Amino acid sequence: MPSSDETNSPRPGPRPAPLLTAGMMLAERGIYGMIWVDETLTTVARYGRLVDFVEVGEPLTRELLPLVGLEDEIRALKDSDGRVIELPGIAIVDNKGESPKINISVFWSKDEESFLVVLTRYSSRSDLEVELSRQIRARLMAEAEVMQTSKELAKTNAELARANRDLEEFASIISHDLKAPMRHLRYIVDEIETATEGALSGSAISKLSELRDQSRRMSGMLTSLLEYSSVGRKEEIAEEIDTHGLIHAIIGSMRRTPGFEIEIAGFWPTISTVVAPLDLVLRNLVDNAIKHHDRADGHIRISCADKGDTLLISVEDDGPGIAKDQHAAAFLPFRRLKPGGAEGQGMGLAFVKRWVEAAGGRLDLESDPSLRRGTTMRLQWPKMT
Amino acid sequence: MIARKIMMLGEIGVGKSSIVQRLVFDRFDFNYKPTIGVDVYRYDLPPRPGREAMSLIVWDTDGNFGEAIFRHVYMREASAAFIVGDLSRRNTLDSMAKLGAGFREALPGRHITFLLNKVDLVEAALRMEVPEPLVPFAAPVVTTSAKTGENVQQSFIDSADAIIRRDQ
Ligand SMILES: Nc1nc2c(ncn2[C@@H]2O[C@H](COP(=O)(O)OP(=O)(O)OP(=O)(O)O)[C@@H](O)[C@H]2O)c(=O)[nH]1
Ligand SMILES: [Mg+2]
Repeated sequence: MPSSDETNSPRPGPRPAPLLTAGMMLAERGIYGMIWVDETLTTVARYGRLVDFVEVGEPLTRELLPLVGLEDEIRALKDSDGRVIELPGIAIVDNKGESPKINISVFWSKDEESFLVVLTRYSSRSDLEVELSRQIRARLMAEAEVMQTSKELAKTNAELARANRDLEEFASIISHDLKAPMRHLRYIVDEIETATEGALSGSAISKLSELRDQSRRMSGMLTSLLEYSSVGRKEEIAEEIDTHGLIHAIIGSMRRTPGFEIEIAGFWPTISTVVAPLDLVLRNLVDNAIKHHDRADGHIRISCADKGDTLLISVEDDGPGIAKDQHAAAFLPFRRLKPGGAEGQGMGLAFVKRWVEAAGGRLDLESDPSLRRGTTMRLQWPKMT
Repeated sequence: MIARKIMMLGEIGVGKSSIVQRLVFDRFDFNYKPTIGVDVYRYDLPPRPGREAMSLIVWDTDGNFGEAIFRHVYMREASAAFIVGDLSRRNTLDSMAKLGAGFREALPGRHITFLLNKVDLVEAALRMEVPEPLVPFAAPVVTTSAKTGENVQQSFIDSADAIIRRDQ
């Protein structure tokens, strides 16, 4: 066993063998280092630059931190012939700068009656390799994040779809279920009238008739609500349709005062699309333009342009227009823009927009009465193939 | 002086090395330098009533090991583990429970601390929730930030105390 003063001198013998010389060179270059340790696990000697940090006379594990906790296992090596404890790829990090990655091997040397700890430089990773690893990991981290986000997005979408479905079902159930009691209400009004035949005052009679009117109106709203909530739930089948013929048919069926003019302009092609919704949408847009007009000699211009996979149809009137702050409200169900304005079930544009969107199209409103009269509804309607 | 071995486990990039660097050198680096293999640090705790001076030998592992680490010689004789997740990346939290289970199986009865790191990056409201898969472990779950140092030192002190309690 070497003594501590031999720490950095060649051993053994006066004339080192060639192999030993080579080994010494490697040790001096910090490729490997050796530590001799006694049975109390105290360092008794060391050799090589790599083990400079280990102090002779001190417990082995004081500086060789990775061996902390393994003391019993090391002692047991003495009785297990030829066993080696190996810890690869470890750096002992202190505040003194770069710490090399090392492999640590511990075994019992029978010849020298001591434990030998051999440190070898771990196939040192170049900066390039570390940079590569950093980039790969950064990408892995980002990918994991994207996966997580898209998983969450899919979940949110599914929840949204379910919430929408629930809402539609709710609307359809309540509107359906409320219709019967509403009809019953009107029936009771009739019964009261019969039961009190002639005994009621004029004002009581008119209140009853108002009650009947309001409940009828409410039934109408419920019917609309029911239809509204069912939009897009039926699968429509695409058909060929001559849009020129369609628009003429729609206009032909509209009631209007003799002075009211409707002009059809642009190019109306034959396309393949879901016909029933298109018919309904156009009918409603033209009907709205007439109904909300404040003059008997109004003018409506309906034009069409073919944009490849969509038709661009605009319905332009010279009516009173819709104030800018009312545009959003115009698309909400059951809103009448001005009190006492044209009647209907109040579903108007909300209904139309829903049909348009269910077909994959888009509806926009343009109007600014502070600049000039009139409203233009711009419809983008998809062709199907 | 007694010394005990502690493992840092967790997915890549969750901040294991940053936590240890904050603990040992009180510094923080925004640049990501992946750990390849293992880095071993020493953190000395001064004595205090009920505990003598103590060295924590902290094994900062490579997140790439995943659950393979439990079959590795590195795990031998560890006294405790810190299992780290990144609060700003949810999937890293999911793998914390797996690592916790692996550690319990490899070294039954050793102390585990779950660290929800990078708390400086998330909104206050998120701080309070203990991720559901971690509940059954009955182990401390601590939010930390290697950047600000929040709870870093304290969680190591608590772990040291737990190790001593178990040793006695
Ligand atoms: N904002 C913030 N960033 C952090 C925090 N902790 C770590 N980071 C950053 O997160 C990145 C990864 O941190 P590391 O400590 O290298 O992560 P690691 O868990 O050791 O990763 P591997 O060694 O690859 O397993 C680095 O860019 C750090 O600066 C934190 O508490 N807050
Ligand atoms: Mg690291």
